[in-house]
Amino acid sequence: MPADDAYAAGPGAGLAGQPARGVIYDRGYRRYGGVRLGRLQIALALFWHSLRSSFGIGRGAKAKILPVITFAGMCLPAVVNAVAVARGGAPVVFYGTYTFPLRVVAMTIFVAVQAPELVSRDLRSHVLPLYFSRPLRRLDYPAAKYAAFTVACLIMIEIPLLLLYLGTIVSAKGNSAVWYQTRLLAGGLGVGALWAVLLAAIGLALACLSAKRAYATGAVAIFFFLTWTLAQIIYSVAGHPLAHAAPGHPPGAVTVQAVTSGQRLAGLISPFTVLDGVRQWLGGKVPGPMSPPGHYGAVYGVMFLVLLAASLTVLAVRYRKAGAE
Amino acid sequence: MTTRAQGAGTETAVTETAVIETRALTKRYPGPVTALDELTVAVAPGIAGLVGANGAGKSTLIKILLGLLEPTSGRAMVLGHDCQLHGERIRTLIGYMPEHDCLPPDVTATEFVTHLGRMSGLPATAAKERAAESLRHVGLHEERYRQVGTYSTGMKQRVKLAQALVGDPRLLLLDEPTNGLDPAGRAEMLDLIFRIGTEFGISIVVASHLLGEIERICDHLVVIDAGRLLRADTITSFTEVRRVLLVEVEEGATPLADELARRGLDPRPYQRALLVPLAGDATYDVVRDAVADLRLPLGRLEQRRHSLEELFHDGGEPAVATTEVRDAG
Repeated sequence: MPADDAYAAGPGAGLAGQPARGVIYDRGYRRYGGVRLGRLQIALALFWHSLRSSFGIGRGAKAKILPVITFAGMCLPAVVNAVAVARGGAPVVFYGTYTFPLRVVAMTIFVAVQAPELVSRDLRSHVLPLYFSRPLRRLDYPAAKYAAFTVACLIMIEIPLLLLYLGTIVSAKGNSAVWYQTRLLAGGLGVGALWAVLLAAIGLALACLSAKRAYATGAVAIFFFLTWTLAQIIYSVAGHPLAHAAPGHPPGAVTVQAVTSGQRLAGLISPFTVLDGVRQWLGGKVPGPMSPPGHYGAVYGVMFLVLLAASLTVLAVRYRKAGAE
Repeated sequence: MTTRAQGAGTETAVTETAVIETRALTKRYPGPVTALDELTVAVAPGIAGLVGANGAGKSTLIKILLGLLEPTSGRAMVLGHDCQLHGERIRTLIGYMPEHDCLPPDVTATEFVTHLGRMSGLPATAAKERAAESLRHVGLHEERYRQVGTYSTGMKQRVKLAQALVGDPRLLLLDEPTNGLDPAGRAEMLDLIFRIGTEFGISIVVASHLLGEIERICDHLVVIDAGRLLRADTITSFTEVRRVLLVEVEEGATPLADELARRGLDPRPYQRALLVPLAGDATYDVVRDAVADLRLPLGRLEQRRHSLEELFHDGGEPAVATTEVRDAG
């Protein structure tokens, strides 16, 4: 056995006449006799690894800058609200909508930058064959990535809500006020979960289409900003009085009283307004960025499921193909 | 056809101990392209070379063995497990080194191999230990804390080998492990593979289009061409067939060829010289006498091996890796 020989000979001698550099013992090859984890535990390890890299943990300091900045930005309204409430004012931030435009911007940036971190790197450097030659099945990989990124988005959205809650109840008077806040928080957390589930799916689906990180980031950012802007434009156009002036009335004489169907449906274009439509359909009372969906509420529910299903299908198809390449 | 590996007397014995066994394995891609055509082969433990030109079906075979690709028909077994039924189990027993670059540039070798150790099913601590050991075995020491992007091609190949080794596999599938290396790097990589195969007790299948290169380290060879088996045998039997005598005369090669044929040899022209199958010392005598009788100026007389091209043209079968073999030789 060469292993035994090398071991007996000790340092230096094992290196065939080379001078001993420090004390490197060539112990030869050792078999592994320990525990081997099953497929699910391996997928769990991949989940943790991906969750950590969602926030740049395990990478250089540079990788942590953006997650930290966006997270701090997301927490800001909670702090502002806590100060306002502590001074005896009314709450300025609501659980259901948080601060909608800020949430849109912060989550767009977070998803656009971090989703490619999870999927584009492995695609770019062709690491996938190394995963697929291991016990994981093909769909375990995207499933672990999706679960990890959903949790990452949950952290981004829900922790600021918890801060908001804590900041509010510190100044709350009486148990009923705390109980009231808790009920509101529960609703807000539910909405946040919907956000996380959908944004993570869309982000990964768009990111996995390109191995180039810059393209992946661009694709996600453009999709989110473009649809969000488009929804707002259509919303304002659909609500323009001229568009709905009854025949015979002089132009400009009509003021808009009712919300038009066009306005109620404009939100279907952007994932963010779809999410807010679903919130209002499910009973959210706080006014959102657009008019309530009214009797189109169920359409928003369907649109949410369609977007989610389409994104997950893209992910699944992408990795079923990648494994066979 | 099966490998007549060392110590294996009958075909049944080979079948029982084979690390890889295929029966009428066929893979057709839409096109229609037949990547594997009724391939039946058994590979005994040890170091086996899987040789074929680019596009001969080597990578397709490896993917089927890993359970990543479904064969169109036929069966494949690895370490006694059916590839289609127990792909997951097989993948815990195999270490795979892909042909192409598969390393992210912005992580250290230690981080990367540790992570892939986890993906092989090792618990966190064990993955760290085995990653360090694997990297040491492939000869990466302090460099392993540097980012992979700063590595030379040779070091990258070593990291690829280390990640295949980290899960303590029973079988290593190495796809063109010397790809992109300079001659010194190739020799080092081959020595490393030889050491793993002989000292670590791990069976190895090395896919390569360079027979001249991998024959040095293999116990047996499997040669495929256009998805079909050309030949599978131990390396010694390949070498025996390949012993030839090169006779170069400065003029009169044609009359010499006739004379040698008349004396019972089978000379074939090779560039400006003749190649004569070498049966033993008697062959030298016959050649010497023929040259002397014809009074030809003998320029060169040396024992050498057939090039692989000639070897497989013997049976009128297609050539394998013609130019590459010469390059490597």
